[in-house]
Amino acid sequence: MKKIFLLVLFSITIFSSCKKEVLKQNVYDNVYYEVTPVTLYTSNAEKNKQKSSLQYISILFSDLFNQNIPGSDLNNIGEAILSIGDKGLANQMILERFLTLPGISIPTQTQMNADLNSFITSAYQRFYLRNPTEYEKIYLKNLIQNDSNITPEIVYAAFALSNEYMFY
Amino acid sequence: MQRRSFIEKASLATAGTFLAPYILPTGRLFAATGDRVVNHVVFVLFAGGVRHQESVEQAYLTYQGANSGNLMQNMFTGAAPTNNLLYTPWNPIQGSSLASQGTFFKELEYAQGPTGHYNGHTAAITGNYTDVGTNLAINPDFPTVFEYYRRHTDPAKSAINAWWMSEGLGPYPALNYSKHGMYGPMFGANYFRPYSTFGNIGLDYLNNGLTLQPDDVGRLNTIKNFLDSNFDKSAADLPGIINNSTDRESIHAFMKDVLNRTQNGTVEFPLPAGVPAYEMTGDLINIQYAWEVLKNFHPELTVINTFNLDTCHSDFTGYLKLMHKADYGVGWLWDKIQSDPVLHDDTIMICMPDHGRNDLPNNVYDANGLRAFDHTSDANSRRVFALIVGPAAKVNQNLVLGSVGNPVGQTIDIVPTIAHILGFNDQIPGGMLQGQVLTQAFV
Repeated sequence: MKKIFLLVLFSITIFSSCKKEVLKQNVYDNVYYEVTPVTLYTSNAEKNKQKSSLQYISILFSDLFNQNIPGSDLNNIGEAILSIGDKGLANQMILERFLTLPGISIPTQTQMNADLNSFITSAYQRFYLRNPTEYEKIYLKNLIQNDSNITPEIVYAAFALSNEYMFY
Repeated sequence: MQRRSFIEKASLATAGTFLAPYILPTGRLFAATGDRVVNHVVFVLFAGGVRHQESVEQAYLTYQGANSGNLMQNMFTGAAPTNNLLYTPWNPIQGSSLASQGTFFKELEYAQGPTGHYNGHTAAITGNYTDVGTNLAINPDFPTVFEYYRRHTDPAKSAINAWWMSEGLGPYPALNYSKHGMYGPMFGANYFRPYSTFGNIGLDYLNNGLTLQPDDVGRLNTIKNFLDSNFDKSAADLPGIINNSTDRESIHAFMKDVLNRTQNGTVEFPLPAGVPAYEMTGDLINIQYAWEVLKNFHPELTVINTFNLDTCHSDFTGYLKLMHKADYGVGWLWDKIQSDPVLHDDTIMICMPDHGRNDLPNNVYDANGLRAFDHTSDANSRRVFALIVGPAAKVNQNLVLGSVGNPVGQTIDIVPTIAHILGFNDQIPGGMLQGQVLTQAFV
């Protein structure tokens, strides 16, 4: 009996110590916008596939409006993108249009300035599905603090047009 | 002596090393200086399948058992039909036909490959015939004229100087660059399909966006550059061409301006005075916005198409009406070009169909009981024409070449002809193009 007990104890010790580390964790996005739980990347190095134009628009809409893009809108936007040779420019103009539509989920400047740490962290989680590094957080915080003309729209536009946002 | 011989041989070898890159495929020792005929080319692919009988031969209803007449008085010289009018005549905008303002290749050949629209477009834009199916929205195998232009023009030209604008989508957006390994999107043209870009979809999804002041653009770019500096991949693999930042900003501003003017109804219409806007066609919309691009950017190479004539598969009456309107649009465009201080006297316009249509009708009758025509690679569907119109000092005027059974030129000749006009034909590597420069057109 004692041997069996020791064997079980040994097995638990061995297998628990060899358990594979969980690299991803479920967290809740910022409390401002009540976004559904998402799986975060631990590092942007995990992103190695480029989004298609339609994936980009579909995800962008979800990130800005907290809802899926209606199918008819996606089709029409797909046609708009197809009709322009410079796809980066097409994405930029569609983003600019999104930023003026009612129902967009974007904090006010007051909310942003009230808690910059939270704003930056939530922006990284929303657009990049990861937490910012300390360096990223400090750099952006300083940038925003030192320029009162930086608006949440400008920050969101920069994230949405950045290279990392084009990948998953 | 051996040492002297060695030095002499080494000197020759060294000289040869320097000279070798300049021995061109054409056999010339040095690259041409880039002499140009003019600085701007507008190529109108008068597409959709144009039957020689109703266009060049001015047959009108002859093959339906009635009278003849010229539907295309802006492009061709000849009297309009006087009876059995199935269309509302628009007075020609050109005082004399375009054929009389340049060289008219009356009988030109689409020699190889299926007479399909994608094939016809590809042959005209790449200078190589293709058998690739029409349903593949893929970039062509051979380089496009845009890529030859951008790669071989010295000094190099950015994409804002080259435009491809199509009436429809389908496979046509893919014709602004090829998948050729030596060329590709970095040498491609800008592209619009105006019906979408500036039509209802553009107004709904591209217009009235957030406007950032220049300082705000700077702030955005500062943040974006920081974000990009922390990520080791680039989104350069987005399908399509990439403009440099200056050109992209110019095109961005242009699009916002044109969308605003479209919304306000202040974009010029290629219509005769008094004709209501609902008479616009897809072809005229493409021409309308091509002019907006031309007058704003003064690009050196612009290729546009018309396509509505393909209704001839089932509606011969509609085909005649649309042919008359498209002809007006081409005349209107040339008129606008002549009114522009930069383009005036420094532009050559080329018009050519993608291919023709069959000699014999199919089994479809339209509402007026007229027979419809397909394009299934019969000999008649390989008959096309080309107009090369330009300043009298550069282009031979009122010259007509070719006759039935005696074609002069092929559709694949347009690419080398454009290369000749813009001064880069000698720089194109040997074996890439099968066609010849249509030298007969030039003074």
